Amino acid sequence: MKVLRHLGVEVSFPEAQTCCGQIGFNGGYRKEAAEIARHFVETFEPYDHIVAPSGSCSSMIKVYYRELFADDPGMLERAIAVGEKTHEFSEFIVNILGVTEVGGVSTGLVTYHDACHLLRELGISEEPRTLIQNTRGVELEEMPKSDDCCGFGGLFSVKFPEISTAILNDKISNVEKTGASTLVANDCGCLMHMRGALRRQGSSIRPKHIAELLAEGLD
Amino acid sequence: MPTPVEDPNKEAFLTRVRDALGRTSPIMITPDHPTLKTTLPRHEEKIRTTKARTEARRSQNIARLESTAIAASWHMHRASDAEIAANVVAEIASSIHAKNVVRTAEDIFKRVNTDATLRKRGVRSTVLASGRVRRKEDLKEIAFKADMGISGVEYAIAETASCAVFQRKGNARIATLAPPVLALIVEESKILETLDDFFAIVRFQFLTNRGRLPNYYNFISGPSRTADIEQTLTVGVHGPGEVHMILLADGLTSLQP
Amino acid sequence: MPEVKTKQFKSASVKALADSNIQRALGAPFAHFVEGRKSAIDSDFTEESWESMRDRAAATKAHTIERLDYYLDLLDKNVRRNGGHVHFANDAAHANQIVLDIAREHNVKTVIKSKSMVSEEMGINAVLEKNGIVPVETDLGEYIIQLAKETPFHLIAPAVHKTKEQVSDLFEKFLDSAPTDDIEKLCIIARDVLRDNFAKADMGISGANFIVAETGTVVLVTNEGNGRMTTSAPRVHVAISGMEKLLPSIEDVSLFLRLLARSATGQRITSYNSFISGPRVSSDEDGPEEFHLILVDNGRLNLLKDETLREALSCIRCGACLNHCPVYRKVGGHAYGWVYPGPIGAIVSPMLTGLKQGKDLPYASTLCGSCRDVCPVKIDLPKLLLDLRHKVVQSGAGAIPERLGIRQWHGIMKTRKKLEGKARLGRMFQRLVVRKGFITRLPLPVVSGWTKSRDFPALAPRSFAEIWRDDLSSGDRS
Repeated sequence: MKVLRHLGVEVSFPEAQTCCGQIGFNGGYRKEAAEIARHFVETFEPYDHIVAPSGSCSSMIKVYYRELFADDPGMLERAIAVGEKTHEFSEFIVNILGVTEVGGVSTGLVTYHDACHLLRELGISEEPRTLIQNTRGVELEEMPKSDDCCGFGGLFSVKFPEISTAILNDKISNVEKTGASTLVANDCGCLMHMRGALRRQGSSIRPKHIAELLAEGLD
Repeated sequence: MPTPVEDPNKEAFLTRVRDALGRTSPIMITPDHPTLKTTLPRHEEKIRTTKARTEARRSQNIARLESTAIAASWHMHRASDAEIAANVVAEIASSIHAKNVVRTAEDIFKRVNTDATLRKRGVRSTVLASGRVRRKEDLKEIAFKADMGISGVEYAIAETASCAVFQRKGNARIATLAPPVLALIVEESKILETLDDFFAIVRFQFLTNRGRLPNYYNFISGPSRTADIEQTLTVGVHGPGEVHMILLADGLTSLQP
Repeated sequence: MPEVKTKQFKSASVKALADSNIQRALGAPFAHFVEGRKSAIDSDFTEESWESMRDRAAATKAHTIERLDYYLDLLDKNVRRNGGHVHFANDAAHANQIVLDIAREHNVKTVIKSKSMVSEEMGINAVLEKNGIVPVETDLGEYIIQLAKETPFHLIAPAVHKTKEQVSDLFEKFLDSAPTDDIEKLCIIARDVLRDNFAKADMGISGANFIVAETGTVVLVTNEGNGRMTTSAPRVHVAISGMEKLLPSIEDVSLFLRLLARSATGQRITSYNSFISGPRVSSDEDGPEEFHLILVDNGRLNLLKDETLREALSCIRCGACLNHCPVYRKVGGHAYGWVYPGPIGAIVSPMLTGLKQGKDLPYASTLCGSCRDVCPVKIDLPKLLLDLRHKVVQSGAGAIPERLGIRQWHGIMKTRKKLEGKARLGRMFQRLVVRKGFITRLPLPVVSGWTKSRDFPALAPRSFAEIWRDDLSSGDRS
């Protein structure tokens, strides 16, 4: 919010909003997910732009709503329209606002995790890196296999916790190899997952959403 | 040989497939597949163009075949005439201390007289064609005990360093498979640029004179390899571990006839 | 038929995670597969881009599958014109019977085999043995697991989980060979035994990597040469294949050879490719007197009739999806409980052996999408997995606590009022378990797994909506 306003955007938070419906959809509960998704479309369609903090929510709206509403032409059209106006946070800043330097200040070595949906469904990998690199005081250090999955996968993390943790441990070990003090990701699910392990392991690495990093030092 | 009969289960099987695809009747016209829809004259034209291109790019193709082959672990040799080629084969045999080699009954050996050059070095060469002196079973045994196998090729493909071996007659398959070392004599006029060129030619042969195509042909694109134990590469498990290509400058136009 | 253990995925995967041998096997060798594929694609000369090749291959496969009846008919006519026999097998049992009938007719005592995944579906080796016929696998990896009495760990590297010490032990036990940890020596031991079998076997059974309808040609792709041995030396050759492995024209083969070699082993082409269109033509030749092609359904119709899942039949069995899957890379092939592991297995196994018992498999994925990125024929694997999850839910097979949990979630998410109401409740109750803003133990069904190894963030003291309302909105309300 701070970042967007700093960049001169008129931001609203439609209070009626609940959820994009991805959890249900990914679980196979399409009927239930469709109800939530319909509510999302109704709530957000009046706006010019919709900014989402998570790559996975963004891809649900932009890509999977077409699947969810495939049998409902009326909803499908509205969903596609909403999808086109929806952008993930860093995508919005770089590609819609045309801004590559937000103007914030931070310190230290930062490493970036490529969230799966953001990278593979939406093709976004350069935009967040550009914004990080252009933040004064910060140096971006790539981790080995930054595009390897963190093991969250939503329902997967509680359905198959052992496998999820094993995948997560590999990711954390790659993060630690960078010597970075901050880990940035553009997905709340990935962040929650990685934070869960970092904290449990007593790590001093701080996980941040890219917005948190970019907001630092802004007045 | 009489054509084998249709499986009595075929109709029911295909009907179920059709049902699954949501159709009630079979497709009666050739589907819209680019190759299948091409007319024979058009295909013939493609072959003509292929031959012309292959001839025009002959030296590039030779160079490419050599570099691809070396990268794929072939040993490469060049021979400017048939006599030299026959000597190269004999030298390879000497280098591996071969006592017995087997070869196919192909026409290439009428020009490249490996029997003579090998004999001079005390190496026995057996032609794998039954009905002459030996029985098939004996030939199989001889092949499995031989130190080296020699054969000609139908084509060699530069893109993949693949030798297309068409062994049409004689008990030739085993010649390129059983012995631990293999030597293939490749006439320069038989070198093709790509896999696509090869299959276009094969298809043309199939459409115009099906009987000419053998029911069995092979690509040999390097030594026999396996990495099945701990992903460690070992060569020469079921086929030759050492493979040689002898490029023979034959002065003929590419792909004749 | 091998036992279907798809139901045991969860427990099998936990076991695999604790098995140091399996974990070692899933490390470096697979990094090798992944690097090899990438390097073959990046550095190789081809006139066509990789993406263009994938597009064309996906289109060719879709075209063929949609007209499968036509191409099967064309194939049948052409193989028979070449002098070969064609059999259409409805299921594994039927296919086994066909093989036994052929074996009996020819008085077969020993069989040599090269790789065929369908023959694993059939459990053909056990069937042959029961009928007094000795089958010997000639692919080194398959041979090793045959001795170990295991199923393949991977589509193309079936024994990748075995250490050289384990292989040496197997050879010592079954072949009476001297123990050695020299891999080359181990290969030679196997080669000598197998060569002996090549020379003597009555029948060869192979799979088929591709089958060309137009010319009636079976294409075998190997590196070892055992495919050639199996199909040349014995009197009878039987090729067994799933009915979907067809390509329309011989000119389609080059594209698929390029894609398969790079995707599977990081090679430009494998050492051997055999093109078999029938038995030998004259007695003056090498090769089998009789050639039989068995085309097997065994549940593939279930995939075929579903317009979304049909795509799974385009698979060319390269193994790339396995190599790049974070889940497969942690649990390996055996955990998937049947013949096909990894992302493709998670789709094919439930559809061919039962959705109810295999219902965990489509969920055993983070939907990261790496598989879709590397599939040479562009199968949208995550989409198919999502579709299967939907089918599991619709069939009522989903676990009850999960179903209830999801319904609860959706109930809460229907309106903002409900969400905020429940969040308030949550904040009250979480005080019982929250320490310093995080939850480290949450002994509730379904979600307890999280806190065994990870902290879970507590609900924040104020929701964003509250912060927005009270501090941030500055009059901008909607």
